[in-house]
Amino acid sequence: MADASVPLQTPLSRRGIERLDLMLLCAEALDLNGGEAMVWLSEEMGFTDLFPNRVELWKRRCSNPLRRNTRRAALKPEETDALIRILNALAERLYPMLRTLLSSAEPPELNQQRWDLFRGRLRELVQERLNPRRGGVQRLLDPGEGAELSRELVQAMALSAGEGGFERLRASLLDAAV
Amino acid sequence: MKLTSRYEQTSCRLVVEGLPDLSAGQDSSTIGIVTGFSMGLAGHTDLEGQREHLQALLAAVIPYARHLLSAVPKAFGAADSPVAIEPSEGRHQLELRSRQPNTPPLKIVLDDAELSDLVRCLDQLRLDRRLAIPFELPELHPLSRNDLRHRQPLLRRVAAPLVGVATLLISASLLSLLPTPKAPVDVRLNRPTLALPR
Repeated sequence: MADASVPLQTPLSRRGIERLDLMLLCAEALDLNGGEAMVWLSEEMGFTDLFPNRVELWKRRCSNPLRRNTRRAALKPEETDALIRILNALAERLYPMLRTLLSSAEPPELNQQRWDLFRGRLRELVQERLNPRRGGVQRLLDPGEGAELSRELVQAMALSAGEGGFERLRASLLDAAV
Repeated sequence: MKLTSRYEQTSCRLVVEGLPDLSAGQDSSTIGIVTGFSMGLAGHTDLEGQREHLQALLAAVIPYARHLLSAVPKAFGAADSPVAIEPSEGRHQLELRSRQPNTPPLKIVLDDAELSDLVRCLDQLRLDRRLAIPFELPELHPLSRNDLRHRQPLLRRVAAPLVGVATLLISASLLSLLPTPKAPVDVRLNRPTLALPR
């Protein structure tokens, strides 16, 4: 599969940024030090020019239209690419956890507890940072639809991990709006 | 000298065997000619195949993963392809078809974790620089509105046109209840002012 098949300079739509930030939020829900890991990975991967400090990284994530304090400024393609690379690296680190959540071979009660813990943390992060008046946020907090959406996000993260994950995820985030 | 490349994840193992294509100037550690490959999936016997099977496996599973990442599962693998994959009751059914006559296809159902493992192994394989084999894969591209159509529930998709048609019908029936205006009458002549010209 050609790696350069998606033009490099295509900016992400608002919906793409929304999904990217939600997946980063999932990474934080899975790992209590996820926020720190993002800053560390950003430095490690050489993105200090784009995100000189944690506040700048935070500000870019606030382009998500579902945020409480959303920023209208559009993200540059190189900034979204850097965020996708950070997510790709986080998904790689968290892959054993993502895999366990998705596996049907795990004892059902134990896996239910893991999902409850993850969804509980995600709910706290969503309530703290996202605008509860937005339909997308209400769907995430809904007991039925939220469970389905969080599984979709975990599955998407698992398919975004590893070497081919970056290009696959980027193509997916550039999907047309429906 | 035969070379071997292994790609492993928790529930999946792929082993590619081959030789360097010295006529193409490849070094002795590069596989340029695949002589065979084997795939081990947890809970199933090892499967063996040739390069065409590996190509068919990549051509079915990689685009399937791409669609699944956008939450629009879709079947891949043509009827004459040795490998096909389709969504099946929240899982993923991999179908391996034999060229031998009267041999039924082998169906393997993978859960989400097993599918991710397989995808990761195939990613490692197709991006491995020691494997100089031009696999033919469809390009990665964003999905169109048409591809994503069924991500929206049917009710939400048809709600806007339905409301539009209903509003039109209701307003048309209400308007039809209003009496039609009569032509104004000239009181002096007691005849309609808009009399036809003689």
